[in-house]
Amino acid sequence: MRNFDLAEPTRLEDACAILAADDDAKPVAGGTALLTIIKQGLLVPKLLVNLKKINDASAITFDPQRGLCIGALATINDIEISPLVRQHYPTLAEACHLVANIRIRNMATIGGNLAHGDYQSDPPTVLVALDTNVEIISQNGIRWMKLTEFQLGSYETALAPGELISAITIPPLPRGMTGHYVKFTTGSSEERPCAGIAALACMEDGICRELRLAVGAVSPRPVRIFAGEEAANEMILTDQLIDSIAFEAARVVEPIDDLHGSADYKRHLVRVLARRTITAVANDGAETAA
Amino acid sequence: MTLVGINVEMVGARAKVSGAVNYIADLEFPGQVYAKALRSPYPYAKLVRIDTSKALALAGVRAVVTRDDLAELNPHFGTGVEDQPVVVIDKARYVGDIIAAVAADSREIADEAVALIEVEYEELPAVTEIFEAAKPGAPLIQEDHVDKIAGGNVHGVYRAASGNIEQGFKESDEVIENTYILPPVQHGHIEPHAVTAFWEPSGKLVVHTPCQTPSPLQEQLAKVFKLPLNRVRVIVPPVGGGYGGKNHARVEPIVALLARKARRPVQWILTRDEVFLTGRRFGALIKIKTGFKHDGRLWARKVEAWYDMGAYALSGPANTKNACIIAGGPYNIPHRDYTTYAVYTNLPPAGPYRGVGASHVCWAYESEMDEIARRVGMDPLELRLKNLLKEGDLFITGEPMISVGISECVRQAAKAVGWRDNEEQAAISAGPFVRGKGLAVAIKSTSTPSTSAASVRLNADGSAILLTSSAEIGQGAHTSLAQIVGDVLGLPLDRVSVTFPDTDVTPYDKSTSSSRTTFHMGRAAQIAAGQIRDQLLQAGAKTLEAHVEDLELKEMRLQVRGVPEKNLTIPQLFRAIYGEPSGSLFGNYTLRTEGGVDSKTGKGKGSSFWFYSAAGAEVEVDVETGKLRMLKVATAVDVGKAIHPRQCDLQNEGSALAGLGSALFEEMCFDNGQPINGSFLDYLLPSMQDHPIEFESLLVETPHPDGPFGAKGMGEAGLPPMAAAIGNAVANALDGARVRDLPLKPDKIIAAIQATKKGSLK
Amino acid sequence: MKIAIITTINGQRQEIQVNGHQTLLEFLRDNLKLKGTVEGCSVGVCGSCTVLIDGKPVSSCLTLASNVEDKHVTTIEGLSQNGDFDPVQQAFLKHQAFQCGFCTTGMIMAVKGLLIAYPHPTEEQARDYLSGNLCRCGTYKEVLAAVKQLSQK
Repeated sequence: MRNFDLAEPTRLEDACAILAADDDAKPVAGGTALLTIIKQGLLVPKLLVNLKKINDASAITFDPQRGLCIGALATINDIEISPLVRQHYPTLAEACHLVANIRIRNMATIGGNLAHGDYQSDPPTVLVALDTNVEIISQNGIRWMKLTEFQLGSYETALAPGELISAITIPPLPRGMTGHYVKFTTGSSEERPCAGIAALACMEDGICRELRLAVGAVSPRPVRIFAGEEAANEMILTDQLIDSIAFEAARVVEPIDDLHGSADYKRHLVRVLARRTITAVANDGAETAA
Repeated sequence: MTLVGINVEMVGARAKVSGAVNYIADLEFPGQVYAKALRSPYPYAKLVRIDTSKALALAGVRAVVTRDDLAELNPHFGTGVEDQPVVVIDKARYVGDIIAAVAADSREIADEAVALIEVEYEELPAVTEIFEAAKPGAPLIQEDHVDKIAGGNVHGVYRAASGNIEQGFKESDEVIENTYILPPVQHGHIEPHAVTAFWEPSGKLVVHTPCQTPSPLQEQLAKVFKLPLNRVRVIVPPVGGGYGGKNHARVEPIVALLARKARRPVQWILTRDEVFLTGRRFGALIKIKTGFKHDGRLWARKVEAWYDMGAYALSGPANTKNACIIAGGPYNIPHRDYTTYAVYTNLPPAGPYRGVGASHVCWAYESEMDEIARRVGMDPLELRLKNLLKEGDLFITGEPMISVGISECVRQAAKAVGWRDNEEQAAISAGPFVRGKGLAVAIKSTSTPSTSAASVRLNADGSAILLTSSAEIGQGAHTSLAQIVGDVLGLPLDRVSVTFPDTDVTPYDKSTSSSRTTFHMGRAAQIAAGQIRDQLLQAGAKTLEAHVEDLELKEMRLQVRGVPEKNLTIPQLFRAIYGEPSGSLFGNYTLRTEGGVDSKTGKGKGSSFWFYSAAGAEVEVDVETGKLRMLKVATAVDVGKAIHPRQCDLQNEGSALAGLGSALFEEMCFDNGQPINGSFLDYLLPSMQDHPIEFESLLVETPHPDGPFGAKGMGEAGLPPMAAAIGNAVANALDGARVRDLPLKPDKIIAAIQATKKGSLK
Repeated sequence: MKIAIITTINGQRQEIQVNGHQTLLEFLRDNLKLKGTVEGCSVGVCGSCTVLIDGKPVSSCLTLASNVEDKHVTTIEGLSQNGDFDPVQQAFLKHQAFQCGFCTTGMIMAVKGLLIAYPHPTEEQARDYLSGNLCRCGTYKEVLAAVKQLSQK
């Protein structure tokens, strides 16, 4: 590969220090995004800061009060197969399984995924539905942000120079909440998503206690369909209601034209997929209702 | 014990599963340096000024070549038309055209050096859309190589006709007319192009390259460098996939030039992004008008097809001419008028591709066939069987067609997908998921006329070697050639070796392409081995005091038929010939086929053998999202004789999958000549998940009198009918809603559904 | 700049010196001359550069060579022990799951990874796991047949 120097700190704080001191330095974790950009000649950094030699930033822990904490250097595969994630946030495991291919999942980290900000990605959509927070570290210490505020646009985040994501935290879910994530590709199964829908619902005796709906990959950032979620509160999820929520989702998103499809088509798609995903979650609830 | 027709272990199998194959990138030469090219960022631009001084000054740079290094050469090369310069001279003609090249001690230094070359361009208006490029008055890309009468960037116009087209339309009960479009697609060979070139101190050029056409490449290099053929040596290692993308000179001339200047072996392995700039399949626009009778007889057909060759012609003219005679399909049609146009555009050069020009016209004529079936109320299978060519029918070229297995192909394909009428099919559909089945047939020619020469050498211990310039590109050529030679000489497979192409040693072959190797090289090898067989039989007849007709070669022995005790081993035969069990016996044969068609009339002999194939597809359409799911694909090909049946099945699988890719999602996208999806990140090849749930390969054997053991060729045949089979399946699922421009992406399916206001869209 | 690390490659523990900017693929091929792992696309999509790190498939073209420190790397060359073919290689031979061979070593390593993760995979699991290994020649059906045979052991 093109020449660059490689710094290999063993602590996140030291990595931050190197990045803060050198404008031309870039952090690299899994390498699946950054190294492809370097190989395509779109970035010519003089110094890469290798985060893979940092050993204490990939743990996945769970606490019933505080929820799930995932170290930034946990790989997508780590998250997918984690018993804690599977038990408490299975929709996140479902989305992680659908990312790219097995090799990418073994290499790419959740911190890298969120810091890169590729809008055509699966985990961010589910994480937005889960009300995820991002823990950011720098030489000044630690700060937290809501994921939705961290994501600014396509390949644009609120990460400042010298900052790294250190972890993400996900609050506990309401009891009995189940969910689905649907990834839609317009071509090969191996493509990045054209649309991603995450729907989670707490169903009780056929009534929806809480609905969460996030739409991603069609626009520069994933979007929560709050009006749709409110409309579902304490309601029976009839076909008509589900359809109107889906219609709202299609109305709210601002899809962009790209290789995967026109904005019009994506709007149409969101409506169909949102309807299907909410229906699936509503039926899950029906099956597991006491 | 015969080899032909048996699924023997493939030659090279063990090396492939152990990573021991030496592909071009694995070869290392002492002192080798590494190349990198500077490529034009503009689709059309004058090259005003180049300054390589900074690049040359970089430590580790061995040589830089530009147009200033072409003085002693014939600077242009090409397959038929010599329109491509070794390096851009006056104008860059596509984004990616090579402006300069560097050789340096490492790939990293070469990269850095390229970035230091300063270039001044004057941008010119580019033309990248076929129809626009063909119009008189369009900016000319290759002024010296266009048809001035046709105008625009049309290089060649090819025609074929029979009967009287106007009368034919008048006599038809109904006439339909439609336009079909195909975008360019990638070959997708997983191994990128790569070359290593060096000059021996004597001034002889040696080139190692995974090229499918070593002999023509040798000729092209000899011409460029003004050398006799014996001072150019082309060696072809195992090829990691070709499909036509590695035919003819691509980057070999510039690497050779660099090697001469650097006085070192120069290796250049192209990046995948560069592969996108080095070869592709033509895009095409096809207008097709068909007149037919109410009883389903095709009566008149007019086709006009524009093929986009890109900035340099390569085999475009020949491919476009070949597409002309098959433009209406493998049907009996009394009144025909076909015109094909080979057009230059400011896009990367196209060149040959698996199924080359046949896939394009097939997409059009087979989609139309189902349209016609709908209008006359006939089953699409029955309609095809009614009109398909049969043994002895005269084709548009005037030749009688022989060894015609196409009806059997389409019957088998239909059966394999459980062909039934649409109502039964619709009954399986559920909710927004609607199912349909589709069929398509195809015809294609092989490169005619052409030449293949084979040399066989028998060692005194009974082992043999076949010297051939046919490349092993994964299609199993070396295995089937060994099977043929082995059966002629009565040898087991492990006693027959096949060389890799080396023009110092292996005789002339036109190409490893056009599915021609088994038929042409196989036949040449069969005849050459037969010469050795004759020598052995003659020697044995004397010694055994038997008639030649009573002798046979079996299991490394010559024996009297029915009297196994009367036999001689091969060493004993050598002793009989030479007085000792040492020496070599030779057989040599140059096979040349005759034929070709007139460009203006389409008359002649279009092919030394014709490929016939059919595809059946069962598809499920999600009418709400437009997404297609491939349930079943069946590919039926008339192989003549399957030398290695399982390898034929594997070739059908590859053809079907590539056809599926271009039908469903593959397309190269450009923005005024700039590739938008020019890497594997954005341009995907079909994956295992995209593979149909069920795939079946069917081999029909209609022997050909001129092929070895009756074999024809089949490597490409399964590809052309795929798109139409899928398109027809979709149309059948959607009550006739049809998309006419590939690929069949979901948004187009939705638009087609909405246009006909059918389907269960909420 | 050189980085010295301890790693285990095909069962052999060794100290290696890598360049910071070197990928694992470059190191395997250029330094160790293990040419069985090949490059098809350089962006981690085609899978022909697949090797196993601690039993998990990765794209060696996107792995920094330095990151194999304290890990076990397995390449195609590490499969044949004592000259005998590994069961996956034998199954590939039996089912003729190759044509040009260029994607084959990566595919074999991916199948090794599959069988470590799922010793008795269903066809669905196999398709899902292997879908990131691309083949253009057409061998998916045969690879799945080989996996089916291996899954029955």
